[in-house]
Amino acid sequence: MSMRRAGAPAVAAAVAALLCVLPFLLDGYHQGIASAVGIYFVAILGLNILTGYTGQISIGHGAFMAIGGYTTVILSHDHHTNLIATLPAAAALTFVCGVAVGIPALRLSGVYLALATFALAVSVPQLPLKFSKFLGGSNGLQTDHTVSHLWLYAVSWACAALGFVLGWLLLRGRIGRAFRAVRDSELAAASSGVSLPIYKTLAFGVSAAYAGVAGSLFVLWTNGFAQPNEFEILLSLKILIGAAVAGLGSLWGVAVGAIFIGLLPQLSASVPLIGPAHGQDVVFGFVVILIMLVLPNGFAGLLWRVRAAIKTRPGTS
Amino acid sequence: MGRWGRFLAALTGAATVAAVAVTAAMGGHSATPGVTAKQITIGGTFPLTGIASLYKTIPTAENAYFQYVNDHGGVNGRKINFLIRDDSYDPTKTVPLATQLVEQDHVFAIFGSLGTVPGLSTWGYLNAHKVPQVEVATGDSFWGFCAFKSCDGGKKPWTIGYQPDYPGESKLYGQYISQNFPNAKIGVLYQNDSFGKNYYAGLRIGLGARKENIVSAQSYDPSQTTPSQQVIALKAAGANILVIFALPQQTIGALVTATKIGWHPDATILSNVSANTVFLKLAAANGADVNGVISTNYVNYATTVDANTPGAKLAKAIIAKYAPSLDLNDGNVEYGLGAAWMFVYALQHAGKNPTRASLEKALHSLNVADPFLYPGIKLQTSKTDNFPVEQLIFEKWNGGATGQWQPFGKLYNHLR
Amino acid sequence: MATFVATLTKRKTAVSTGVSIPVVALLVAGAVFLLIGCLSSEIFAQQTVSGLADGAIFGLLALALVLIYRATEVVNFAQGEMAMATTYFAYQLTQWHLTYWLAFVLTLAFAFVFGVLVQVAFIRPVQHKSVIAVVIVTVGLFILIDGVVTWIWGADLKFMAAPFGNNVYTLSGVAFSRLDIGVFLVCIASMVLLWLLFQYTKLGLAMRASALRPSSAALVGVRVDRMLAVGWGLAAVLGAVAGMMTEPKQFVLQPPLMQPILLYAFAAAVLGGLESPFGAVVGGLTLGVFLNLIGQYVGFATSELRLPIAFAVLLFVLVLKPTGLFGRRQVRRV
Repeated sequence: MSMRRAGAPAVAAAVAALLCVLPFLLDGYHQGIASAVGIYFVAILGLNILTGYTGQISIGHGAFMAIGGYTTVILSHDHHTNLIATLPAAAALTFVCGVAVGIPALRLSGVYLALATFALAVSVPQLPLKFSKFLGGSNGLQTDHTVSHLWLYAVSWACAALGFVLGWLLLRGRIGRAFRAVRDSELAAASSGVSLPIYKTLAFGVSAAYAGVAGSLFVLWTNGFAQPNEFEILLSLKILIGAAVAGLGSLWGVAVGAIFIGLLPQLSASVPLIGPAHGQDVVFGFVVILIMLVLPNGFAGLLWRVRAAIKTRPGTS
Repeated sequence: MGRWGRFLAALTGAATVAAVAVTAAMGGHSATPGVTAKQITIGGTFPLTGIASLYKTIPTAENAYFQYVNDHGGVNGRKINFLIRDDSYDPTKTVPLATQLVEQDHVFAIFGSLGTVPGLSTWGYLNAHKVPQVEVATGDSFWGFCAFKSCDGGKKPWTIGYQPDYPGESKLYGQYISQNFPNAKIGVLYQNDSFGKNYYAGLRIGLGARKENIVSAQSYDPSQTTPSQQVIALKAAGANILVIFALPQQTIGALVTATKIGWHPDATILSNVSANTVFLKLAAANGADVNGVISTNYVNYATTVDANTPGAKLAKAIIAKYAPSLDLNDGNVEYGLGAAWMFVYALQHAGKNPTRASLEKALHSLNVADPFLYPGIKLQTSKTDNFPVEQLIFEKWNGGATGQWQPFGKLYNHLR
Repeated sequence: MATFVATLTKRKTAVSTGVSIPVVALLVAGAVFLLIGCLSSEIFAQQTVSGLADGAIFGLLALALVLIYRATEVVNFAQGEMAMATTYFAYQLTQWHLTYWLAFVLTLAFAFVFGVLVQVAFIRPVQHKSVIAVVIVTVGLFILIDGVVTWIWGADLKFMAAPFGNNVYTLSGVAFSRLDIGVFLVCIASMVLLWLLFQYTKLGLAMRASALRPSSAALVGVRVDRMLAVGWGLAAVLGAVAGMMTEPKQFVLQPPLMQPILLYAFAAAVLGGLESPFGAVVGGLTLGVFLNLIGQYVGFATSELRLPIAFAVLLFVLVLKPTGLFGRRQVRRV
């Protein structure tokens, strides 16, 4: 999907306008949902950079979100840091953690890498329980103040937009080409001079940084409360689902993936007959499976096919 | 713009329309949210599914009491509409559900929400919006004392608990052991979160000088369904008193494991959270020796010991009519009835047209016996006392699988 | 057909012997250490016995995971939930007044059909399309099965009869409960039966061929698709056994029954080698004993670290020898 077409900036402007207007049409509760979509957007974007563009599977992004979230809470709780200022701090710390994970991950691939990241996702949330003096233990930690729904919406979507632009810039250039080369064939990439260790760990770092920012915003969304239960394995799995629904290897589907995991649980809770207590899981699980069966390449794959169909319709230029 | 661009623009337009369609109606609400001429709406979040789902009987029992009240004219002519939401004990679900209750359903108060972690995730928001957070269903002490001192960035005057707090309860266990087993070697099993740690801290305070008698304290993680490794370690340390501060599943596991490895402590003490008749019988059915196990109680066991009190008879009648699927052997049911009774009482004393402020005032001037609590236990609050129930009675399990709880000793007052 | 398939499989095993000398030495050393420990300390022995009992369940579920991975190269995140669902089926049968062991056998049959249906309906359509899609489908199944079970039976606690009774036998101060012995024996029996199936039956042969060389196996008339479905069915049966053995150890039946077990089973499967059934069981037993002993003797290893320690083992194995104790080293051909 290239942005060379003249239509793309117009679409981007339309989307930006929509996002600016939207919060004023919604009440606080729905602003919160819209913020959640923005937060998932950032996380899925990061995972897509790693899994979609360099082919390294990670089921561990919840761990990076936890690190980012706790960074924000600790800075706010202990040092009364401005909340926005905690975001770059979270990004920097998780970038370093991502690189630290990426280095041993060089030896692993496919299912083994998936399991290793899974191990991280399960283990990292236990650490605040072990080191409860600094990390709050099971009672968690809270930021020194909570934020309004509108504030969170604005910051989440600003981060989402920024993340999208940065991602696009990163991926269109030499780094993006190197990433794609790594994904398509590591052997070919290495033999044409692409340094596997550098690009693979870079991808891990960047991806983790996105997850870290998403984690900070996630904690702010949870009324500024960071607690291990929020970062359980299901969170990592949800991000992965979002990335798969979005379609790996393309930035355009990310919005759909984010809307999917942000909205579907809410919508499926109100399905009749099954009831709100179970509706979420039954409908959500079923729809996830259905989407993967019908669109194994996600929304981006669908867009591709639609685009191809439009272009090849008789009578078009 | 190319064809492809037009397509994307159309998609965006459709998304805009969809987004607007999703907008919630911002209908006007009355001066006091949740209160109309005919109805009062309250809501709470509960673990109806997930790992803590054994507590789902509580909101069902509470709703049963509210329905009984509604059938008898309601409160000052208003029926209570209780919205029960499932958060699976997951704070990332609790937060949007609580926001929805307050900002979409416009509830008058948040009632009975269960769980420390879910409670902590919402108390800042609720207090900032001056929404009463009534009778949080956990025994942590901060629901009580954070009305008066700053916790997590500010005082929480809109929050109140209900049940006796865990440290207060375990202080009693410490005193009991000191008096009855002064030279005991004590082994403690506790859950490694604030629930277990608060209990353990209270035990040490209650033991006073005798806290040196604790020969081993083993914690377990909630993800460990049977703490057998820890029980083995406690026996190895030579303990002859076993104190278990665990949730029901792990309590059963600990009791069964202790008997299995041939350990018969001189006394076994349980937290009253897990001292349900149902669980003791289950432990006995699986081979645990539960005769003589000790705990405390504050509810009125409608099935056995206090069956002739008016409260017990009322409980039986209400459950039979409004929630026949509930088992009165499950202490959580009496808990729910008692908690709902307290709310209705406060509401009745909050004036003909209650406001959130008048509800809080009523909640802080209680001095009445709740019929669903153990006879003699009163709900007592004041401007400086934010702990409604501060009394406990000791009880001992006599028998095995067909035994029952037998209260003994005097009523302990003023736990704090 | 059988001889041709047999030569295919024999050739592969001749090339790389699954078990290497260092691993055997390590295991023997470990066994000796445990023996000495058990003889010298009653507590060591008790923790070991208890650990073996826990580890047997990890091994059973790990066996199911390995079976599916070997056959289809899929890591089935829904294995635990499938095991839990079949356990609820057994519960329902006992509620309809069937005896425990009759319900057990009928549940195994149900589990087989269930596993086959899942493979045919949900996995087969995406198996060759996208690796990520298959992972997501198993995750979706995890969520869906949990939701459906909660919908049908509710989330409250259910109670089942104890299959092995409550007796406890004591040997020089160490207690062995009938339940733990029963679970351990069932686990070993399952592994042995599975091995016999693979080594000595035509079906097992065909399954092995389908896993190792699907195209060659298809050429000699093996219905590869069918074999994959059978693999999933058998794995579901193993999962059902794991679930029904877990329930009495937890005393209550509720939907999150197998969720912590699944996590430890992953660690056990990686430890033993994702492609080795024998490794899965050894991995499970080892993990169970290791966790108990570390918890007893290492002060820093408090309960919060139990799961992280299991996963540290997993990470350690992945970094040192990704194919695990008994896995064969994969050589990537250019």
